[in-house]
Amino acid sequence: MSLALSIGLLAAAGVYLVLQRGMIRIILGFVLLTHAVNLLIIAAGGVARRKAPFFGGDTSQAADPLPQAFVLTAIVIAFAITVVLATFAVVGRNDDDTEAGAEAEAGAAPRTPIATAGDES
Amino acid sequence: MSLIAILASTLAVVAVTMVATRLIGRNAGWLAAAGLGALAAIVATRVPEVLVGSSAVREVVPWIPSLDVALRLRLDGLSALFLIIVLSIGALVMAYSARYLSDRTVHRHTGYFAWMLLFAFAMTGLVLADDLVLLFVFWELTTLCSFFLINRSGRRASAPAVRTLLTTAFGGLMLLFAVVLIVVRTETTVLSEALIDPVWQSDAGFTAAIAVLVALAAMTKSAQFPFHMWLPDAMVAPTPVSAYLHAAAMVKAGIYLLMVFSPALGGTVVWQSILVSTGLITALMGAVFALRRFDLKEIMAYSTISQLGLIVALIGIGTPSALATAALYTLAHALFKASLFMVVGIVDQQAGTRDIRLLRSLWRRMPVTFVTTLLAGLSMAGVFPLLGFISKEYLLGQTLEPGGPVWLGVLLTATVVLGAIATFAYTGRILLGGFTDYRGTERADGDLDTHRMPETVREADPLFVATALAPALAGLALGPAIVVLHPLMSAAGSAAAGQPYTASFALFGGFTIELALSVTIIALGLIAISQRRRLDRLLERRVLSFTAIDVVERIRTGANTLGARIGDTTRTDAPASHMAAPWIVVGAIALAAVFIAPSAGTVIDAGEPWTDALMLALLVVTVVPAVVTRSRITALILVGGAGFVVALWFFALGAIDVGLTQLLVELLTVVALVLILRRLPAVFHAVARNRQVLSAAIALGVGAAATAVTLAFTGRRDISTVGQYFLDEAPADTGGTNVVNTILVDYRALDTLGELTVIAVAGIVIMGMLSARPMLAERTPDLSAWAGTALVRTVDNTLPIRVVARWSAPLIILLSIYLLLRGHYEPGGGFIAALVGGTGFALAYLGASTDRRAPVRWPYRGLLAAGVIVGVASGVGGYLVGSFLRPVRFGIPLPGGSEYGFTSALIFDLGVYFAVVAIIIAVINELGGVREHHARPPSPASRGSSADDSRTRDRDDRREAVR
Amino acid sequence: MIDIIALVEALLPMFVGAPLLIGGVLLVLPRLARLRQVLGMVSLLAVLAGAIVLVALTSDGTVLVHQIGLWPGGVSIPFVADSFSALILAVAAVVATASFQYLIASGEARSASIASFVLILIGGVAGALLTADLFNLFVFIEVMLLPSYGLLVILSRRGNMAGSRLYVIINLLASTLFLAGVGLIYAVQGTVNLAELAGTGSDPATAIATALCLAAIAVKAAVFPVHGWLARAYSSTSPAVAALFSALHTKVAVYIVYRISAVIFEGDGVWMTAIMVVASLTLVVGAFAALGEREIRPLLVFQMISGIGFILIGIALFTPLGLTAGIAYMVHHMIVMGALLLVASAIEQTYGSGRLDRVAGLRNREPLLTAVFIISALSLAGLPPFSGFVAKYTLVLASADAGVVVVAGLLIITSLVALMSMMRVWADMFNGKRHTDVEVLAAESRIRSRRDLFDSDAIDADEVAAEAAQAVEQHAPPRGITATEEDPHGHRGTRIPIRLIVPALILAALSVALGFGGEFLIQLAEQASSALLNTSAYVEAVIG
Repeated sequence: MSLALSIGLLAAAGVYLVLQRGMIRIILGFVLLTHAVNLLIIAAGGVARRKAPFFGGDTSQAADPLPQAFVLTAIVIAFAITVVLATFAVVGRNDDDTEAGAEAEAGAAPRTPIATAGDES
Repeated sequence: MSLIAILASTLAVVAVTMVATRLIGRNAGWLAAAGLGALAAIVATRVPEVLVGSSAVREVVPWIPSLDVALRLRLDGLSALFLIIVLSIGALVMAYSARYLSDRTVHRHTGYFAWMLLFAFAMTGLVLADDLVLLFVFWELTTLCSFFLINRSGRRASAPAVRTLLTTAFGGLMLLFAVVLIVVRTETTVLSEALIDPVWQSDAGFTAAIAVLVALAAMTKSAQFPFHMWLPDAMVAPTPVSAYLHAAAMVKAGIYLLMVFSPALGGTVVWQSILVSTGLITALMGAVFALRRFDLKEIMAYSTISQLGLIVALIGIGTPSALATAALYTLAHALFKASLFMVVGIVDQQAGTRDIRLLRSLWRRMPVTFVTTLLAGLSMAGVFPLLGFISKEYLLGQTLEPGGPVWLGVLLTATVVLGAIATFAYTGRILLGGFTDYRGTERADGDLDTHRMPETVREADPLFVATALAPALAGLALGPAIVVLHPLMSAAGSAAAGQPYTASFALFGGFTIELALSVTIIALGLIAISQRRRLDRLLERRVLSFTAIDVVERIRTGANTLGARIGDTTRTDAPASHMAAPWIVVGAIALAAVFIAPSAGTVIDAGEPWTDALMLALLVVTVVPAVVTRSRITALILVGGAGFVVALWFFALGAIDVGLTQLLVELLTVVALVLILRRLPAVFHAVARNRQVLSAAIALGVGAAATAVTLAFTGRRDISTVGQYFLDEAPADTGGTNVVNTILVDYRALDTLGELTVIAVAGIVIMGMLSARPMLAERTPDLSAWAGTALVRTVDNTLPIRVVARWSAPLIILLSIYLLLRGHYEPGGGFIAALVGGTGFALAYLGASTDRRAPVRWPYRGLLAAGVIVGVASGVGGYLVGSFLRPVRFGIPLPGGSEYGFTSALIFDLGVYFAVVAIIIAVINELGGVREHHARPPSPASRGSSADDSRTRDRDDRREAVR
Repeated sequence: MIDIIALVEALLPMFVGAPLLIGGVLLVLPRLARLRQVLGMVSLLAVLAGAIVLVALTSDGTVLVHQIGLWPGGVSIPFVADSFSALILAVAAVVATASFQYLIASGEARSASIASFVLILIGGVAGALLTADLFNLFVFIEVMLLPSYGLLVILSRRGNMAGSRLYVIINLLASTLFLAGVGLIYAVQGTVNLAELAGTGSDPATAIATALCLAAIAVKAAVFPVHGWLARAYSSTSPAVAALFSALHTKVAVYIVYRISAVIFEGDGVWMTAIMVVASLTLVVGAFAALGEREIRPLLVFQMISGIGFILIGIALFTPLGLTAGIAYMVHHMIVMGALLLVASAIEQTYGSGRLDRVAGLRNREPLLTAVFIISALSLAGLPPFSGFVAKYTLVLASADAGVVVVAGLLIITSLVALMSMMRVWADMFNGKRHTDVEVLAAESRIRSRRDLFDSDAIDADEVAAEAAQAVEQHAPPRGITATEEDPHGHRGTRIPIRLIVPALILAALSVALGFGGEFLIQLAEQASSALLNTSAYVEAVIG
């Protein structure tokens, strides 16, 4: 029950934050959402058995290792995306506001798409 | 010559002519004319085979057997008639073009001839097609040819071309719809088989639907009211195009379609009412409009519309004799209208205008042209003894007994008579207005009248005129010699009626009502001509305030605005407005789940320790304030705290490695975000109250759904078989005892490979992004107040941490390597090891006194790549033992007898180690402000700082290299 | 023969491994732009060749399977190639190759990481198409996404980050939802192996969990009502990148919808009806929105969204004919969209603008480009004799055959709307009034790119315009600068270099070929659809 509630709490908070304006809030929102999903996946393996899945001795109480592997992968991927998003937040026009784009869009003269912005350095 | 050969050779004519234009320019027209003429002759030789009853020649060449679509060709009376019209008129127009077109060498007219002949090919295919899909294909092909022929004739042609395309394409799509429905219903794509399917009788609704669709298709193609507007519009095209496509051939495609479908649809109420009504309305309207025009070509256009209307009405009546009359009328019209259009072209070129108010006494200067016009015109007006006379006589005959009540016959006849009078009148308008000085009255035409025909106007090149004269003479000859047409007309009639029919047209059918009517028509027509000026004034008033073209344009712009409105609904870059919908949907699905889905199995309740509740409480106290606070840094720290609680959750649930990873990742995330926050305002953007409420509502919904789903879906089954397998077999399979790690590097190494790729690419992306763009400037707090105090002496301040770092760094590195090596057996492994190592670098960063001295000078770009390379390489190594990513294992004897169980999974893990370490360094270096010199203040005020210029320059060089 | 099959099966993972490896190697060749481009092109062609081999081997219904790591079925991650995945992989490779060729021609591929990104992207695509494991699918979706972020930002228009941000965020949303769905599936069924999940859609709980996955994928596929972000994101980056993505991202998403619906739901009525409704809305909304756009790129992207709707109708019908039609349409749409977006790229990069009201008179300036455009445009609108006709006819036929005549009518009307929007581009950009400022536009574009600061705000538009006008004045040929029908030989001033047109030309030619060779297209699609329907063979092959 507590776990389910924790997941719900994280999800709710995450959704609220991703629906806000600033990139940082959106990022934090996704961080929380990821937590929710990761806990959900662990829960998917069942929480009745809580012993760490190491070999040796009796594994009858060992937790399902597969969801753990999933979550490990998911966590690291989430980290990678988070830092990319974070970078997005600071290379914009003024600050991390995602809704300042509108007016910038309006007056925008057609720009040349010839972008050879070299990323070597 | 087989039908397929005929079809193919029309294509050959296209190719040959295109080549020829390169050599002899416009004279290639003669070549094309010869080609089409020859084909017409060949077709004529095949005609006898199809004259008896409703017999036909059939050929099949497969195209898309899977859909039962094939080049099924069929030659019967009907297609024979149309084929001959298409080819012979085509030949004449080609010959005509050879003189009409300019011979300036810059214009080779390749495109013109290509499209014209391609059109001839398309029409040939259309009238030969015995496959419903093929019919549609050729139908659309004619549309396209018409579009390109109009479009290429000058800038003014753009809008008309597009309008024409859209109108006719609409019709085409209706045909497609009809075709599909027929194919589905009759389960055959063979036209002739589909038409005799019993379903036409059994299912009235279906028949009616098809009738409407086919009628729509034909009405758009044959410019019937209310789709007539495109034809006058299309007159911007060169005259030969109008003569061929918009008088003789393409507009006849609609007629052909109607006649082909007559066996199936003829006689049904819908069919008759649609065709007869629209036909007659169009006939009358066209004739009247023609009377209002002064441009000869426009007069011709409306006249065509009007004549086609009469033919459509005939098909609507649908009796075999009516259909045969329609066939005859089609031929007659093709002859005189082609001739008339060509004449208009000649006049236009010789006299330099087509305006009947300007043309003067040409009959003296261009006698042959005048005679041509006279013959064709009288045929159109239905004057004895021309072919047009006969067709009109029999048309009247049909309208007199259309079947049904008497008043209907009277009504139809009256309409036709009215139309005929108008026709006679505008024929006179053409002849007198175009060739004589007659103006209806002697009153001067104002300034128009001052325009005098240049004396230089002379008869055109004989070859030029001859091409126009030929069809007119044919019309004259065929009148008396109508008998020769009987076999063909009978065959056409039978094919269209779907039952044997023998035509018997006579030039003089005795003193009948028809004859009387004809006389009346001529009489009244003459009066109309004599009263032309009055008539003009009468007709000048516009009946409607808008033209049909306005309507089309209205529809187009309307559709565009509608589209813009729809687009506006999503025209924003704000993620929130794009994300609201999916969240609502998802929440709905999930909540629905709980109520719909009967919970699978029963909950395995092992009771939950009090610590669970504690962790929930901890989450509440971290997450809730994190959501409400407006301070960025506070929010960040609180979210970080939540992350640590989640790590606790993992530990509690027996996920040791996960917990460790979560802890370290959380740490690094916070570090990275702190680096970011330096460049952002201290507080979040204010958001409108109602929006907060809305997002809160959505959030609570999703949260509730998440909880409900977790309860409903999880913890209701014992450990999965695959999970049990790992627990039991991991050591035997992999030699590892840390089951989770064995899954990561052995069983599901592919996941891990993908993941380390993600990590590496993320690093590269960050580097790329920051080299292409500046970061926002750092918002350094104003420390001036503290000047001189210890607070700003960073070198001293960081001394302790530097000392710690100096000693701890090597230890941390060692620890991380140890963790890497033991990962397979104990908690640890590539990630954790690397993350631990990463914290070492983080320490080094924090210890540095300034940003300049902070960076770890490592080639982390290479290290990122190395991660991927090592990972994949060890995977490829797996092929040694049979499969990608299969671990290679052997023991390494250690001093003291024991041995270290080596597995290539370790090398794989090393790849992970590289990638993760590298991205940590990358994040710290890139975001840690090493690139400070790229940054510009947020305002675009300060442009190229020296750094910018240098960058700009070298990028400039690069671009020059690209060029 | 057998051993060849076995060999190819064992090599299936290399469709992922090889691109990743080479992509990684290319990352550490910073100074050798030429070599990077050549290697990148070679490996793309290799993937294409391999995919064609797969198509050939699977054409007889064979299902190629490899249990990666040789662990028992159900434990390991299986890679599966049937004629459906093989076909889509092949077409994706074709478009990717063309787009990369364009990136090379336009010089965009010179930037250090571009080649690597494209390779890793295609590797991810291969993984996503071949894997039969839902979690592994999630991982490969991420592998596809990260290089895409790189391409998006590094080649994006100056200063326009909003679109890229949006793209990343929406995809993160989709991934998160998808992962949650996978988690729920595991919670209920205790496996994420697609083969083991076959037919479990009949269990309500599993159905709901799967529905969540599909919803997440629908977000990626830009299905109504979550379609608008695509137009924003794809219009903010390099047009060539948009071409690349259009064939890879949205279409892979559609592939997943097809696969999951077929294997897990096995065409369960309720869910298919749901898809039918959404798909219909998508195709109508997309087509109309396209009509309303004033720039060529968003216009095309909305056409793309409409096309997604068309494709999804196929799975929603879930009749053999319907699936065949849907897959055929998918193949056609990938190719033609690629062609059109590459045409847009060529225009935008040479004339510096994609606005319908700025560029005009291309018909006389750019005969080759005009041909490519009109072919692709008519093909998109479904007119014969191009691939679009064969695909659209089959789809309409399938709908009518399945008794949903309304949808058939919808498809037909939408085709007219599509034609209208294509004609809008034609009338404005290709016919158009005499625009003497086309040259100025081109000059402007050159100046802007030379003055390429980090943010176009730093460029004073008027100043640039003035300078451009002046430049044109100086080099202007005596007889004016825009070719018109009066001056058909006015091949002066700026012209789109052939090398920028060739990639689109190839794709357009392919569309023509698949139109006349309609049988071939339908055959391929039929094989694919029968493979998709023959779940038992799939399951048997995977679990053994």
